[in-house]
Amino acid sequence: MNGQYASLLIALPLISAFFVPLIKGLGRKAIMGYLVLITAIQAAIAGWVASEVYSTGKPIIVMAGGWRPPVGINLYIGQFAALFVFIIAVVSFFMAFFSFKAVTIEPVDKYAMLFLLLMLGATGMIATGDIFNLFVFMEITSITAYALTAYNKTGEAAEASMKYIVLGGIGSSFFLIGVALIYGATGTLNMAHLAQLAGTIDPTVAQVGLALIIFGLAVEAELFPLNAWAPDAYQAAPHPVTVMFSAFVVKAGLYAIARLLYILQNANGWSGVLKLVIAMATLTVVVAEFSALRQRDVKRMVAYSSISQVGMIAFALALGTQAGVDAGVFHMVNHAIVKALLFLTVGYVGVALGGTTIENFQGLGKRMPLTAITLTIGSLAAVGIPLFNIFWSKVRILLAGVEAGYPWSVALILGASVVEAVYYLRLIHTMWFVEGGERVRENFAIGVIAIFLAALIIAIGVYPNDIWTIAQKAGQDVFNVANYIKNVPLMGVGA
Amino acid sequence: MNVPHISIYYFGAISLVLIGLYGVLVKKNLMKILISLSIMETGVNLLLISIGYVSGKSAPILSEGIGPTQAVDPIPQALVLTAIVIGVATTAMALSAAIIIYEKYGTLNVEEIRRLRG
Repeated sequence: MNGQYASLLIALPLISAFFVPLIKGLGRKAIMGYLVLITAIQAAIAGWVASEVYSTGKPIIVMAGGWRPPVGINLYIGQFAALFVFIIAVVSFFMAFFSFKAVTIEPVDKYAMLFLLLMLGATGMIATGDIFNLFVFMEITSITAYALTAYNKTGEAAEASMKYIVLGGIGSSFFLIGVALIYGATGTLNMAHLAQLAGTIDPTVAQVGLALIIFGLAVEAELFPLNAWAPDAYQAAPHPVTVMFSAFVVKAGLYAIARLLYILQNANGWSGVLKLVIAMATLTVVVAEFSALRQRDVKRMVAYSSISQVGMIAFALALGTQAGVDAGVFHMVNHAIVKALLFLTVGYVGVALGGTTIENFQGLGKRMPLTAITLTIGSLAAVGIPLFNIFWSKVRILLAGVEAGYPWSVALILGASVVEAVYYLRLIHTMWFVEGGERVRENFAIGVIAIFLAALIIAIGVYPNDIWTIAQKAGQDVFNVANYIKNVPLMGVGA
Repeated sequence: MNVPHISIYYFGAISLVLIGLYGVLVKKNLMKILISLSIMETGVNLLLISIGYVSGKSAPILSEGIGPTQAVDPIPQALVLTAIVIGVATTAMALSAAIIIYEKYGTLNVEEIRRLRG
């Protein structure tokens, strides 16, 4: 089949979001069913694209309007994008099921529309090959994220959303200034063309432009000085939306940082920017782990834990070596699975028992055994115990960090990981060894999803090599810029 | 003194961004913060436009007497058109959140809007 059909990954959620108001009159069930249907189709398309990309080994280049880059906008669906577009679609599909149970506040039609647009924005951020188009998709993602954060209509939700809007607004302004500087220096917005011209940029402009772009993206990617919105937004947003934030919205930001870093690797002064990201990432891990330690709200605790894992991914992606990028991508996949499971189960407890404070988790092992078991598996995996998937990616990140010559950062990250074990074991202890209320009947569909994710965690933990091979291919897609330029059919225009 | 050649447009645009940033960081009233955010966005848009300016050329509309060589760079104009719309959407979103905050908290002072902490 023609590779240009991959543009359906963008077109389908967009068109379906426009059709939501038309089926509004059919009631809540119909809208939720529609959401499940569309995300299922999206997952099927993403699966087809991924199998196509991995079987041929060649990226799919979608050229908008038939204009060849750098004149037209192109989508670059390489191994990385294919893998993550698939993860985005599958997580959205699961969350569409979870929304049946978790989203009870009207108006549900607006929720469905924003849900689809969030999926669209993240997909576009990962697939695009043009920096301004990246900005547009980033704004689609963040504006829908602002709205979804405030969806619960409580004071807390509005407050969290407002923090996110102000930080996101500053971030996007910085990003745009960075884009303006880089466009002014090179005269192009296409990433492949930019990579060709990177060596000719004035070092000051390249450094300032890249640093501004990274600062802008760091708001989305939750790196240290700019991540104050994240725990609030995670706590206040509807539970399925929290899963989507941590499973793929953050990943899209991280990927965009990594992509732009490596695109401009020939620019003078590049390594200074890498050091900046390394420092931000290390601080993110340390600060988030210690903040998680003193949380009483379990959802907020898992949110801080998610931020610290994100810091670890950013650390790996900014090492500047092939091993680091591969490990970072591997951790991105593992973290998406584990955090989807954790937020799903925590959110489900919040829905079933009304609230996610630690008191509600007392005796959960007897009250909701299935949820408690999967939550335990997720917590153990997040700590990084052997035979669970995150163990492998954490080890690889730390080894790559030592090899690349950052032993101090590795020591700090490793020290902070010990803290992670403390609060997750405290949660597990509360669930299994503290007496609590009565038995609650558990939902079948959510149980199936949770068991599937838990099984995936253990499967990858026992047989890591298959996913590791895929992650290595995806990592090469990000790291090997020469190959990236070669794959994009550039028209010979400009300097 | 030999002043380096800084175009007044760049200077003005960056000043607007800095004024906006100052307002966001210093002001306590939520409305003032949102106004500062808008000022910052305006500054960014002006910067984008001025990067595409070619001295002495006219608007990039293909019409009588004006060919492709006599026009300024059209790409930043397309970028700004998009960025303006995005800025307005963000502001609208922020204002509706501000309305909810005022309803629930009864204040727009950012120091009193602190129910989420930890």
